[in-house]
Amino acid sequence: MTPLSTAAVIDEAIPPADAEAIEQEIAELERRLAKAKAKRRPAGAYLNSSHDADAYTSKQTIGPNEVPATTTHFLLLLSDSALPLGSFAFSSGLESYLSHCKLAPLTNPNPNPPSLSAFLPLSLSSYAATTLPFTLSAHRDPSRLASLDDALDATMICTVGRRASVAQGRALLSIWERSFSASLPAEAEETLRPFLSLLRQPSPAGSLPGVSAHLAPLFGALARLAGLSLEQTAYVFLLGHVKALVSAAVRAGMFGPYQAQKTLAGPAVQELIAAMVAREWDTPVERAGQSVPVMDLWVGRHELLYSRIFNS
Amino acid sequence: MASPFPKSSSAPGEGRIVAKLAPDGNSGLETVSYQYPLKLISPSRPSETKSVLVFLLSYGGGLVGGDNVDLSVEVKESAKLSIVTQGHTKIFKSATPDIVTRQTLRVRVAAGAALCLLPDPVQPFEGSVYEQTQVFRLETDASLCLLDWVTQGRTARGEDWSFVRWAGRNEVWTTTDTAAAGGDRLLVRDAVILDGAQTNPQLKTLRESMHTMGVMGTLLLRGPLMKSLGQFFLAEFTALPRLGARDFRNDDAKRTADERLLEPLEKWRLTRLQMEKEGKILWSAANVRGCVVVKFGAPAVEAGRLWICSMLAHEGSISRDFGDHALMCVR
Repeated sequence: MTPLSTAAVIDEAIPPADAEAIEQEIAELERRLAKAKAKRRPAGAYLNSSHDADAYTSKQTIGPNEVPATTTHFLLLLSDSALPLGSFAFSSGLESYLSHCKLAPLTNPNPNPPSLSAFLPLSLSSYAATTLPFTLSAHRDPSRLASLDDALDATMICTVGRRASVAQGRALLSIWERSFSASLPAEAEETLRPFLSLLRQPSPAGSLPGVSAHLAPLFGALARLAGLSLEQTAYVFLLGHVKALVSAAVRAGMFGPYQAQKTLAGPAVQELIAAMVAREWDTPVERAGQSVPVMDLWVGRHELLYSRIFNS
Repeated sequence: MASPFPKSSSAPGEGRIVAKLAPDGNSGLETVSYQYPLKLISPSRPSETKSVLVFLLSYGGGLVGGDNVDLSVEVKESAKLSIVTQGHTKIFKSATPDIVTRQTLRVRVAAGAALCLLPDPVQPFEGSVYEQTQVFRLETDASLCLLDWVTQGRTARGEDWSFVRWAGRNEVWTTTDTAAAGGDRLLVRDAVILDGAQTNPQLKTLRESMHTMGVMGTLLLRGPLMKSLGQFFLAEFTALPRLGARDFRNDDAKRTADERLLEPLEKWRLTRLQMEKEGKILWSAANVRGCVVVKFGAPAVEAGRLWICSMLAHEGSISRDFGDHALMCVR
């Protein structure tokens, strides 16, 4: 609605002199609003934590010559299923869980047959407990990326899980280097340089590699450099895990695509992600640990499946 | 005047063990000191001399709410130390959830030395709050065998993962005396956090999330003395039958194949696989940064004990290098 049309409506009810005063007042208020908005987002400050509010404002006032905030743009890119991370090649133990439940039912007949609604909360709790503190720490201080990566490498005590984490981490790094970095400020590249040089450095025979490029800390650091807030980063990171699980469930024949979208859209998933983010918000990486020990067994024993459609 | 008795530690629950190689070539104890509620005993006339044995005990066979045990262990160059317990380590109820019962173990194993820690499982009772931290610093060519296992509680009283909280953390670091070599480096951090109070109604109760398991354990192996044992676990894991595979042979073909099994290893493996199937034992083994990490779970504590004993006894290097007494808790 333009100021003119506002005035036209008011015209009918109030005398012309008052209308003019109101017109001036509106113009003055709008000028002050624009000034205040300009103050809120200084130019070039891409590491701005207040972009959540910006994203909403830009959505409401978007016009033909305006674009959404860069952070919103990258938020959408990083949460897109088309992001070539290869996440959908991994079922994070779902396939192994189904096989174990089928081959050795707990009781016969089983009162609780295997289902995604039973597996998803376990898997998300386990994933958040073991990896989310690393994502949060890397976002809070991207310069710690190399040491966080090394610490996470020490805590992943399962071959299959390590493989999945490193494969996706390396894929994310490739996307960053080949596709994203050109569109972001040069500081972002500066921050990553020490990590990249460690990654490329050949480690002496018999010694541990300096860094492995696990997904969780890389995601935290790169999301920060792309301007996502800490809350957004944690939420998108866990949502990505849920999306991969739901997609795996569809391909494992547990349910169809509409049920899959229903699961994703449901309040249960939203509440659970929020609860997990809140649970791990202040967990130091040294205190991260497995909350569902049987998950380590399912993921570790994925290698024993006679036939499998996923890599984890 | 210097006291002829072992020097007592200052704080309750504190203890120290120093093992060293005696001039006769056997391992002996240089220091053993402890304070209530911790108790350390070493047999004065040991039946075996391959390693020196220490019992890690507590008064009353358990830790009451708020107890703090803080044990530091040093195994000096080329010495071998075995630590065992006498029965489950019971963790009694805490009056309130903020009273935490703690056990901390700080270990340093010198070059060429070895520690074998095969205790009974920890048995946390209903209402207990427990935190366990075990940090191992290994110098070059030091060896470590660590078993860490926890049970569902007192099944006879209906306890089934009914405690308030159980958190266990095992860290293995490499370390050097010379600062020039880059200092300490974390090899493996194995942490488990079992919280009875879930933050969200969608999360299952702790009992449900354990999926009928009654005991969960971790075996950590590192160093030259554990090389063959580590290889053994990895090879046996690879040799496990594929899940969901079908046997299309007819009965005759199976019988002929069974008769051909003359290898003792294969015969033993068949028996063990039958035991794994009946005991519903799930396990996996992985090589993580130079350590072999074995995870296992079983619905019954006894089945888990039989399984780990069968594996360690059949491979044989623990009793060969540390003596049979090192295995007494898993027998």
